[in-house]
Amino acid sequence: MSEGGPPVLAPTKLLLALGNDLLGDDGIGPLIARVVAAQVGPEVEVVESGEAGLALLELLIGYEGAVIVDAIQTAEHPVGTVLVFGRDDFRRVVGPSAHYAGLPEVFDLAERLNLSMPRDLWVVAVEVANPFDFAETPCAEVRAAIPAAAARVRELLGE
Amino acid sequence: MDEPTKKRITIDPITRLEGHGKVDIFLDDKGEVERAYFQIPELRGFEVFSLGRPAEDMPQITSRICGVCPTAHHMAATKALDHLYHVEPTRPARLIRELVYNAFMLEDHALHVYVLGGPDFIVGPEAPPEMRNVIGVIGKVGAEIGLRVISTRRRVRELISHLGGKVIHPVLGLPGGVAKGLKKDEVAGFRQLAVDGLDFARFTLQVFKDIVLANPEYVALITSDAYTHKTYYMGLVDDENRPNFYDGHIRVVDPNGKEFARFREEDYTDHIAEQVEPWSYVKFCYLKKVGWKGFKGGIDDGVYSVAPLARLNVASRMATPIAQEAFEEYEATLGPRPVHHTLANHWARVIEMIYAAERMVEILDDPDVASDDLRNIPTATPDRGVGVVEAPRGTLFHHFETNPNGILTKVNLIVATQNNSARMAMSVEAAAKALIHGGIVSDGILNKVEMAFRAYDPCHACATHSLPGQMPLIVRVLERNGEIKQEFRR
Repeated sequence: MSEGGPPVLAPTKLLLALGNDLLGDDGIGPLIARVVAAQVGPEVEVVESGEAGLALLELLIGYEGAVIVDAIQTAEHPVGTVLVFGRDDFRRVVGPSAHYAGLPEVFDLAERLNLSMPRDLWVVAVEVANPFDFAETPCAEVRAAIPAAAARVRELLGE
Repeated sequence: MDEPTKKRITIDPITRLEGHGKVDIFLDDKGEVERAYFQIPELRGFEVFSLGRPAEDMPQITSRICGVCPTAHHMAATKALDHLYHVEPTRPARLIRELVYNAFMLEDHALHVYVLGGPDFIVGPEAPPEMRNVIGVIGKVGAEIGLRVISTRRRVRELISHLGGKVIHPVLGLPGGVAKGLKKDEVAGFRQLAVDGLDFARFTLQVFKDIVLANPEYVALITSDAYTHKTYYMGLVDDENRPNFYDGHIRVVDPNGKEFARFREEDYTDHIAEQVEPWSYVKFCYLKKVGWKGFKGGIDDGVYSVAPLARLNVASRMATPIAQEAFEEYEATLGPRPVHHTLANHWARVIEMIYAAERMVEILDDPDVASDDLRNIPTATPDRGVGVVEAPRGTLFHHFETNPNGILTKVNLIVATQNNSARMAMSVEAAAKALIHGGIVSDGILNKVEMAFRAYDPCHACATHSLPGQMPLIVRVLERNGEIKQEFRR
């Protein structure tokens, strides 16, 4: 904190929206984040990205808490279902990868390098139908999930 | 006569690459490889999506095609707009574009060396699968180096963000110039970044020498027939035939290294044609004036290659001194050029990291880099524009046509992976035939087949996100009737 003036607060929480807003359902993450961005305080930084792997590590460094919003295809839930995962869920579900730096590997790497990663990390994901074809908006079922997903994100951010 | 029993091995999706792909390997009744097919999905619906939109939106739209090379698409589209609107960028604007572009090449190549392709060598092609990844790389080279990789990439990306707005969706390029320049007091800081980037690139070359070149088994692997094809090569060069990632003439050399063609991007349709095969969605590019002979290779087949190996094969020399030293060492070891060893792409990629960093330093030493003369305003009526850059994965063409109001009536993109698709298909088949015998398919063998295309750093279609952000590898051995004989998951 600086002396002799008002405290300068750096954002302590990250809302990271993953997805490509030109690929139909894949763009649901950024749409949710834009709704939430208008409802949270300056302690939350909102970042949109279409990246994965090592780039996620770079984005997550230094925050106390983070919520990632993304599209998911499990084919086990109706399209539009809002799913919430914690860090342990990913460790349990995925395990170490042979070839790709996904979220579990990002955290494994961060631990080995002693990097400062968010203590609290949640993933809010919306089950999608088609994240592969060019389209400017997700389908109606996916769009209908925005209010519920946004509410869950705010709750997890403590807002 | 009974049909011979055939087995099919499927590697689907290809792991550690961006996007999705599939390899099908068909075995005959003796367990030998009859054919192998490398399949990659195509961008779906992009042209239709683009038509009717203002051409000036294309640098933003195309940069979103791919989460891996947004800067390459942004820059190719920006150059296509220059051409479309018949306007040349100012010299300072060109320097800013080239600075950002080389920064992008440096950080993207670093990602491949340490995360995507590097594990095959740094950890080893036969290493246990759970170690053949970035975690294994850190285990081998040490945490300190891992931190250096991350901090260097982060700082280089800050430069791109500073000028381009966002790494993933840059907003830098405008027809005739750029939206933002550097201030004089910003130059020193970025120059230090470039110097540190150069130091990092030289260090990476040393890592490559210590781990790969010092190991005779690896050198034998690189130069083995399994990973060797004699094809044509294509890349952008300057007036002295030195590689340039941002601009120049497109040079093509034949399998003997003789210049076959040298042309400007607007004439690309005179030189490049596309072949459709029934088993793949992707169109296979070939040299129109040589012709399509069906994955034969050699001087009579129009198959060509792009990417680092190709860029060094079309070059007379490198344009910067330290990269030139590294180039001479490469040529002394693997030459005479053209080098036909696919896995030499990894070495060439490291040499290009050095060039990119040196070029950044050169540009930041140019007084014009901090000029505020950033744009020539276009005044001509738009009609047809073609832009080209060397993406990390090879030559990238953007071709736009518009009505007089600048509304798109035609869009054609040839991405690097399309240029390389025929040679990649040849590489996968050659590696499968050389490595799989008697129906024996181990994890290490399959990984070596994957290495045949991973060396190209292929980028499939687009960076679609799907949690958990990890693609499983499924390998299946099937009888011809579809019955699954074996299934691997890793």
